[in-house]
Amino acid sequence: MKSNNLRKQLAIPYAIFLIFFVVLPLLVVIYYGFTNGDGEPSFDNFIRFFKNGKTIGTLVYSIAIAVLTTFFCLLLAYPVALIIAKGAYDKHTKFLMIFVLPMWINFTLRVTALKEILTFIEGNLAYHQFFNTILCMVYDFLPFMIMPIYNSLTKLDNGLIEAASDLGANKIQVFFKVILPLSIPGIVSGITMVFLPSMTNYVVLDMIYNSTYIMGSLIGSYFSAYDWHNGSVISIILLMIILGVTVISNKFTESDSKTQMAR
Amino acid sequence: MKIKSKKKISYMLCFVLLFTNMILTTGCGSSDSDDEIVLRISNWEEYIDEGDWDEEETIELENGTVICSETGIIEDFENWFYETYGKKVRVEYSTFGTNEELYNQLSMGDTYDLVCPSEYMIMKMMAEDMLVPFSEDFYDPTIENNYYAKGVSPYIKGVFDNLSINDEPISKYAAGYMWGTLGIVYNPEYVTEEEAAHWDMLLMDKFDKRVTIKDSVRDAYFAGNSIYNKELLLSEEFMNAEDYYAQMEIILNATDKETIDAVEDILSDIKKNVYSFETDSGKADMVSGKVVANQQWSGDAVYTLDQAEEEGVMLCYSAPEEATNLWFDGWCMLKDGIDGDPDKQLAAEAFVNFVSKPENAIRNMWYIGYTSVISGGEDESILQYAEFLYSAEDEEEETVEYPIAYFFTGSDEAELTEEEIAMYTITTTPDQTNRQLFAQYPPEDVMKRSVVMAYFDKEGNERINQMWLNVRCFDLYEYLP
Repeated sequence: MKSNNLRKQLAIPYAIFLIFFVVLPLLVVIYYGFTNGDGEPSFDNFIRFFKNGKTIGTLVYSIAIAVLTTFFCLLLAYPVALIIAKGAYDKHTKFLMIFVLPMWINFTLRVTALKEILTFIEGNLAYHQFFNTILCMVYDFLPFMIMPIYNSLTKLDNGLIEAASDLGANKIQVFFKVILPLSIPGIVSGITMVFLPSMTNYVVLDMIYNSTYIMGSLIGSYFSAYDWHNGSVISIILLMIILGVTVISNKFTESDSKTQMAR
Repeated sequence: MKIKSKKKISYMLCFVLLFTNMILTTGCGSSDSDDEIVLRISNWEEYIDEGDWDEEETIELENGTVICSETGIIEDFENWFYETYGKKVRVEYSTFGTNEELYNQLSMGDTYDLVCPSEYMIMKMMAEDMLVPFSEDFYDPTIENNYYAKGVSPYIKGVFDNLSINDEPISKYAAGYMWGTLGIVYNPEYVTEEEAAHWDMLLMDKFDKRVTIKDSVRDAYFAGNSIYNKELLLSEEFMNAEDYYAQMEIILNATDKETIDAVEDILSDIKKNVYSFETDSGKADMVSGKVVANQQWSGDAVYTLDQAEEEGVMLCYSAPEEATNLWFDGWCMLKDGIDGDPDKQLAAEAFVNFVSKPENAIRNMWYIGYTSVISGGEDESILQYAEFLYSAEDEEEETVEYPIAYFFTGSDEAELTEEEIAMYTITTTPDQTNRQLFAQYPPEDVMKRSVVMAYFDKEGNERINQMWLNVRCFDLYEYLP
């Protein structure tokens, strides 16, 4: 009883933080999203967003960037995580360090460095804007994909792999029937950590001279034109996408925990 | 019971924390108000002399003025104010990156006493009744410390008097700081003077992905609109018309749907042609040679040209023939900040006068590369500073005469005597006529085609912002069958 109470009180600082910096701003965003310039309730801002082909274009463009970034991150991160977690290297934390180390350096610095390298290779960055954007995003977000997958793979019981091989599964079968299904929670949390930020990370686009807006730049440009209503609408639309992605990923992890329970 | 009391304690703790916080913050505010005036200034980033010059940078003028700044304008002002008025002043100096950023800060409740926005934002603030007019004494040139009234260029003063909001001239609410034109910095190795003389070079296939444009809706719109109206603006009939200037002002401030739609198409094409929409990187990209031309404000152009020179690259600046945007930044006092406090207003006006003192104007110009609105009045330091920078050496074989009398006298050359023109003419090397001198003090014919871009009304503003979003958003239809 006593320790329970103490635990509750420990949550107070965070609760205060949550109220002032998450809940209240959220309410403000919702208020602005559903009112017009005169403070009257209205859906005009939403209608305007979905009626304008250009803003829809930018939504599609952002999703395309996010999907490709997530896909390539996954493609690169999974083998790396697998090698570090399950490979023959017994000192795997050292190898992990090599991949997580870049996370300690600010991403603007990393992108600046990458920009110079790309300029050297490509000559003129502006001819390969989309490719460069994806490349820099992948470079930026890769550690966020490696970490969760690595974590879920280290938790995986080696006994299960051995049992599968004993029962006659070859290496490929072991991977697809045992390792991959059990690492899905890691993949899912990796995807949520990469997909959404890459839809709004407009600083990367600015830095490598991609002059097309993504959702993040759209919000910024509305706010700098004092248009809080339309800016808030875009934020709400992003929030709904976040909600959707979280619901889907929760489904995955839930079904997974059920299989673990059954075991 | 026990649980409840603990809960209470935790709630109380919360409140105690909040209260102590409040007391601490308000406590700080009240303690310094008695004997010290606090002047809260917000200015553009890197837009004032911060001191710490090398000895080599010392400027020596013909009239004996020697300038080498050690401590920076802010600290010097605090000392000067105490010596002059016998009151202590403490400047709280902060900076902003764009006019919109400043406006957003103000609407979120930040208070400043003195701010330095651009012309259209001054107009917006005037229209929204946010500003305090300068006192009548401030404009009296007979008062010794009124360096602004004594020194402001008659030309700039005329511009300030002619622009008005609700029948009040903006000179009543704003005192100029820096001014300039909008033009193109170009590399003469790749771009001819003729090409750089027109805004539509930004559209040329020849410079595909090798030009940049400002990431700013107003600057981009100005260029786009000039391209749209190129033929008209350059037609002889139009240029010789009696109301040429008034007509040009109307055209370049147009916010009707037809113009905006046309400019949207032009800017969409420019977007495909440019290397980047830049806010700050253009200067470095010009020097490094990644791009061969970029849209630039004259002050940044001077900086870019200087930087490039150090790297051994010759760049030039042009103010396109269709039209150029005459812009300026000015000091305004905010109602919320001054709040009827006469001491504060005194300090704010004194600050404007202090930065308008010729030697301080020179310090700022030297430090940031922009051009001060101060011409010096009876004091010849400003003219001598221009000569110090740009006069041709005696051994130079080829020289040209570069008259800038309009800036110092406010009159057209046609109205001045030859002697007066000669007094304000700099003998310089031929290359300076499209380089730093040209950027810093454009000749009279450039000023004749320079237009102030006013603040757009609400509808026009919405249309232009929407146009900008349409240009910058992803064009799905281009990829759909």
